[in-house]
Amino acid sequence: MEIRFSAAEEAFRADARAWLEANVPRDRRPVGADLAALRAYDLAWQRRMFDGGWAGVSWPREYGGRGASLMEQVIWYEEYARAGAPEVTTTFVGLNHAGPTLIACGSEEQKAFHLPRILRGDVVWCQGFSEPNAGSDLASLQTRAVIEGEELVVSGQKIWTSFGNVAEFQELLVRTDPEAPRHRGISWVICAMDTPGIDIRPIKTLTGDQHFCEVFYDGVRIPLRNVVGRLNDGWRVAMATLGFERGTAFLSEQIRLARRVEDLATLARSVPGPRGGRAIDDDEVARRLALARAEVDAMRAMTYRSVSLAVRTGVPGAEASVIRLFFSELVQRIDLLALDILGPAAVERRAEGPGARWADAYLAGLSQTIGGGTKDIQRNIIGERMLGLPR
Amino acid sequence: MDLTFGPEQESIRDAIRGVLADRIPAPRARAELAPDPGLWAEAAALGWFGLGLPEAVGGAGYALPEETILFVELGRSLAAGPWLGTVLATHALTAVPALRDDLASVVGGRTRVAVVDDPADALGDATRPTGTVRGVADGDGVDAFLVLGGRRVRWVSARASGVRVAARESLDPTRRVADLSFTEPSAELLGAEAIPLRRTALVLVAAEALGIAERTLEASVAHAKTREQFGRPIGSFQAVKHRCADMAVRTEVARSIVTFAAVALRDLEPEAPRHAQQAKVLATSAALANGHDNVQNHGGMGFTWEADAHLFLKRAWMLEHAFGTRTAHLEALAAPWRAG
Repeated sequence: MEIRFSAAEEAFRADARAWLEANVPRDRRPVGADLAALRAYDLAWQRRMFDGGWAGVSWPREYGGRGASLMEQVIWYEEYARAGAPEVTTTFVGLNHAGPTLIACGSEEQKAFHLPRILRGDVVWCQGFSEPNAGSDLASLQTRAVIEGEELVVSGQKIWTSFGNVAEFQELLVRTDPEAPRHRGISWVICAMDTPGIDIRPIKTLTGDQHFCEVFYDGVRIPLRNVVGRLNDGWRVAMATLGFERGTAFLSEQIRLARRVEDLATLARSVPGPRGGRAIDDDEVARRLALARAEVDAMRAMTYRSVSLAVRTGVPGAEASVIRLFFSELVQRIDLLALDILGPAAVERRAEGPGARWADAYLAGLSQTIGGGTKDIQRNIIGERMLGLPR
Repeated sequence: MDLTFGPEQESIRDAIRGVLADRIPAPRARAELAPDPGLWAEAAALGWFGLGLPEAVGGAGYALPEETILFVELGRSLAAGPWLGTVLATHALTAVPALRDDLASVVGGRTRVAVVDDPADALGDATRPTGTVRGVADGDGVDAFLVLGGRRVRWVSARASGVRVAARESLDPTRRVADLSFTEPSAELLGAEAIPLRRTALVLVAAEALGIAERTLEASVAHAKTREQFGRPIGSFQAVKHRCADMAVRTEVARSIVTFAAVALRDLEPEAPRHAQQAKVLATSAALANGHDNVQNHGGMGFTWEADAHLFLKRAWMLEHAFGTRTAHLEALAAPWRAG
């Protein structure tokens, strides 16, 4: 058992750190309603990483990636967060989901066309999985695709499509065989978002932003050669990459969370407490902060353990769901603590005060236990797949 | 970076688990709550007490991570006996060449030791400790006391004049406690440092708590798979399934930080002291919450004396009160933020 990294890994860390220090953009990431500006910023940063040889650290070298080992990925994402590099949002689906899916299941033609565009930062990908009546129960999806000659004709509706309004391509799940058992009649299709018949409407979320979209398909014609994997095998294709890509990319979010706990401690030294003095002088505030840091440290240890298990056994373990669930609820505990520390400032929206920043984080954090599988679904997964409890 | 068990650690765990399973089959934990002299002798013969000592002084040459394996198994099996004091004593005595015979006797299982945690030096810090300490775990039926003061470590024979031991009933039937009163007994100053020993103790207590969390999770899952109500296993109901999932999350959290803290202490990492306290807090939290949920998951049977469920919860409470509560550790961990 060992918590130090090897000399080779430390050398990799030094390279990553040096490159990030020299290249992380100095100008701030655009915030607010201007998604086009956000897209341009993110793609420019992706292009910079590509030119520096740091695009797609987890992607195999033969597809233009860095081909980093799991531990090197861990190090990269740690350094990425430490350097304050931009959060991965508009490019997330392409880099961490669609790209790895194409690598695992795509045809040579699909890979040759799409993978370089994703890595270079030419395009944004979005996801078309959830539907109004297929959320947690994704396999009940109803968006229909009928084969006509060399094309699929798609009609239906998708929802919760992040950045659908600024994306070129979509990973789209459609029902190609309504007679088959529900997991067997689904296909995974590459959909160009400028195809006629697609109508994209932004959804305003409770934070006030509009990156979520619903997407309507009315006789949308997609070439059959855009099916990834075999026809009607889309469920397996979709599940093929749900394992580990998220695991290491997730470390950056964890490091940012650790920094937020330290920021919160600083805040608690400067704002008044509930009974006079500073907030940090309140025993309950102090204990909750110390517990938050303990839990953040434990989560990092849990991630290291999970990665080292994967290195030892060669397969990602079920702990990924444990980490995901623990992280999502920990984020919410920390957000809640922030509002408790702020006191009345939590509900004032003054541009100059700290209140708005923490309140916005709290509101955004409510999605942590919904997106990517609700906390209830995560508990089902842990209960059934890890503990073997009956369905 | 590797926080997994290698083949060597797996074989240590399997060997210890095998011996404990033979010696303490589940019903016996209920029937015979006193320490088992046969188990103690076997543990000594197998070198358990010297697991973390250098080979030069009769140990197995491993370190704290392997000792945590032992304590996880002790927690899982609810083994009775002064394990913690005895293992800590081997570390304290290793620092003193003149006491090699005493060390050999502890490692050989002939001297049983209870640890007295006295961080505020309520017993004074002189060579003749004086005062009363209540509720010393395993304080009854040992041969010596290891007194951890604020900085100093002292060794007091239980037979020394000026030592009075009054056995008390404890919440946990599998762990004896005693009130000690010292009236200037002669004590040996060991030269070992109390602070690092206390950190070792925190990690070992956390490991024992992790064992409780693991075992109660397993018991609940096994019960939820077989117990049927409304014509189906209760583990198919989300209310029960999700409670088991939460038990699994707590166990993973505890396992990760305990392992990390043990390796960090072994390697003298600068953040190791913080992680030792965090391990204690999170592992005892997991043991308490899992112990409680395990009683709940077993329904009416869980409330009986006959079932094991109560014993795990009661042991968890003993561990919560060993070497500082969660409240105390969290406030200590927050102290640097509050200073200035």
